[in-house]
Amino acid sequence: MFKPSILAMILAGGRVDELGVLTYYRPKSAIPFGGFARVIDFALSNLLHSGIELIAILSQYRSYSLINHIGTGAAWDMIGRYRGISILPPFKDYENPDWYRGSADAVYQNLDFVHFHEPSEILILSGDHIYQMDYREMIKFHVEKEADLTAAFIEVDPRDAHRFGIAEIESEDPRGGRVVHYEEKPENPRTNLASLTILCFRPQVLYEMLAENQKQNSYEFGRDIIPMMMERNCKIYGYKHSGYWGYTRTIGEYWRTSMDLLGKNPMIDMEKWGLRTNLEHRNIRDCQPLHCGSRAVIENSMAYNGCHIEGTVRNSILFPGVRVDKGAEVVDSVLFFNTIVEHGARLNRIISDVNTTFGAGSRVGGPKVEGSGDGITVVGWNNFVPKGMMIGRGCTVYPQLTRDKWTSSILRDNEVLQ
Amino acid sequence: MITSKDAFVLILAGGVGSRLNILVGQRAKPAVPFGGIYRIIDFCLSNVMNSGMTHVGVLTQYKPLSLMRHIGGGEAWDFTGRTRGVKILPPRTGEKESDWYKGTADAIRQNIDSIEANPSDEIVILSGDHIYQMDFDAMIEYHRYKKADVTIGMMVVPLSEIHHFGTGIVDDENRIIEWEEKPDVPRTNLASMGIYVFDTKYLLRTLAHSRDEFDFGMHILPRAIVNDRVFAYPFYGYWRDVGTIQAYWEANMDIIREDSGISPEEWRIRPNIGTDGRPMDRVPTRFLAGSKVNSSMISAGSVIEGTVINSVLSPGVKVAEGAVVTNSIIFEDSTIEKGAVVDLAICDKRVRIGRKAVVGKGGDNSKLNRAFPKHLYTGITLIGKESYIPPGIRIGRNCIIHPKRTESDFGARAEIADGESF
Repeated sequence: MFKPSILAMILAGGRVDELGVLTYYRPKSAIPFGGFARVIDFALSNLLHSGIELIAILSQYRSYSLINHIGTGAAWDMIGRYRGISILPPFKDYENPDWYRGSADAVYQNLDFVHFHEPSEILILSGDHIYQMDYREMIKFHVEKEADLTAAFIEVDPRDAHRFGIAEIESEDPRGGRVVHYEEKPENPRTNLASLTILCFRPQVLYEMLAENQKQNSYEFGRDIIPMMMERNCKIYGYKHSGYWGYTRTIGEYWRTSMDLLGKNPMIDMEKWGLRTNLEHRNIRDCQPLHCGSRAVIENSMAYNGCHIEGTVRNSILFPGVRVDKGAEVVDSVLFFNTIVEHGARLNRIISDVNTTFGAGSRVGGPKVEGSGDGITVVGWNNFVPKGMMIGRGCTVYPQLTRDKWTSSILRDNEVLQ
Repeated sequence: MITSKDAFVLILAGGVGSRLNILVGQRAKPAVPFGGIYRIIDFCLSNVMNSGMTHVGVLTQYKPLSLMRHIGGGEAWDFTGRTRGVKILPPRTGEKESDWYKGTADAIRQNIDSIEANPSDEIVILSGDHIYQMDFDAMIEYHRYKKADVTIGMMVVPLSEIHHFGTGIVDDENRIIEWEEKPDVPRTNLASMGIYVFDTKYLLRTLAHSRDEFDFGMHILPRAIVNDRVFAYPFYGYWRDVGTIQAYWEANMDIIREDSGISPEEWRIRPNIGTDGRPMDRVPTRFLAGSKVNSSMISAGSVIEGTVINSVLSPGVKVAEGAVVTNSIIFEDSTIEKGAVVDLAICDKRVRIGRKAVVGKGGDNSKLNRAFPKHLYTGITLIGKESYIPPGIRIGRNCIIHPKRTESDFGARAEIADGESF
């Protein structure tokens, strides 16, 4: 009898300090990305195209946006007799009064769900990376090597290696090899092979490790489970991934990854990757085609249905419902759903969260200045930036500020308004 | 068991619409793409949804497959649920007779069983091929207030157009006292929009009168006006019958203009952007460096590197570097290759205009299409579904290029002259 044999569990992630105002009201995986989608859509679309049809999403931080986005799962074809997406929220019972205390604890607390499905392999994914991958290739490698755990790795800039789980792997096979050393966020990384947080486990071993891990006081896959398995000489393999991998852990990274969507041959080619999102979410399927006025200028940009453009847009990404009025200018920016840029306003290197209006003549952000960091200005959702307001580079504006917070007409570089 | 007393809606979607020429070669008129992401019938279905009606029958006859696929289960217009539904009602053979639908009234008569299965006080009968926004709930309220047997949606049209319509002369109460179907000499400028609210019992009674009465405008209404209470429901907004190529093109261009009175978004018109089995969604349109886009509607999934002015693009259209598209309507997944020029054309789905080819050459719109002078007479050229216009070929105005033409079909021809078909 046919039955899905692989269970995928997506770690939807929580709030990330570095992402500031973008994760105030949504988990990291639900952040809008790519002009119409959400970050988690990349993992979900990869699963769809890999033929993996049984999925659980572990979510605890401000889940509503994510739950709303997943809907029935039909958007990714994950609805049917043997197909489905289950969102697993934290719960209390007789034994356990806790929130999810970490990614490994989240899976541990849902082991009865896992047992019920009797998976042949368990694939643990992070829901907040931008990449395309056929997981079947990796699972095939995992099965061939009879591994207890296979983790995917990618070469990163050595300067960034200290931010990831770093492995040293044997080169027995062009696809990858046995992991001989692993360290989470090492101060002095031995290699630049970084973990993508794509982990394929032999279920029995995972169950044992999670149970063992409960005796400790930290419950993360990268920090605790993998090192523990290394210690116990489990068979851990590294699978090398060589395509694009984008991450969005800071505002600057989010912005830079977004810019990889642009250009004639973009590094992130959502059409080629076969990206799917839930068009029911925010009803973007009902948006009329983008309307472009008689004097509009749009260059090297990306925009979805439902935008109205009368002004100038360069090197930018516009989500559905964005309006750029006459004489307004948007450069090097990412504007989420229903951002309104009024007459004569000028935005440069900013990220605007949903439903924010930039009043006529306002100036927000500015071109990059060498040696002063990313300098991206981020404006939280449901704000009304007053007419003529001047906001500098690298500023942060908290979500839904009331009018009385806008006391000054100037916000200098790197200042925070809250 | 259906308990709702909502009016039952029947949409007439079976006509050929032959004046739309090759656009209706493989699809019924209501299924013709419109405004980038819509089909013509979306306006009607969305009006029904926004009027709060939940039981709908769509009467099909001519090439219904595209239409049926588009309507699907009706989710797009919220017609799925325990007591809601949209049903396709094709002609069928009965125990005694088998009949194609002979006309509007005949089509309804052959579906009396559906009317009985959806008990309601009123039946709303609509055409599936008009572009407008209307609240049928308000119309039903009016119908009840007037204690009418039939209420007809009517609007003022220019006298020069009146010969296309059923016309009514009304008294002070808006009661229709005289009816003329497509009159040669206009006596009024009040035209029927093909929107009817019938008292259900009255409709069943009047349809039983004679099987030879197969058309509402020609048979049922003239008799009703003499004997029964027939009222005009005045309508003042934007309404177009896009039954001709010219009207179809103009209505598309109206969407681009802000003051034209048509706005699918404000009207809450819902498309059904079914993905046609595509394994991915349409991604946002990419405007590459050097693109120039003005006064246009662009649907998602397009890639624009050239110039697009005063045009309506459906999803997935590619306009390559140096290509220029003006005053045109381009359907899904068509490609305009490098340096090609397209002016005043309607390109059906998956058309490819080769490098440096020209569609709509010259500026002379005066040579009517020889085969269909009444269809193409203002310069518009039609390119049929999946046709490939080879590089460098020059196609004139008022031309028709039939579907699926290939490079070898063109052979050594370098030009299709104004008014020719191919």
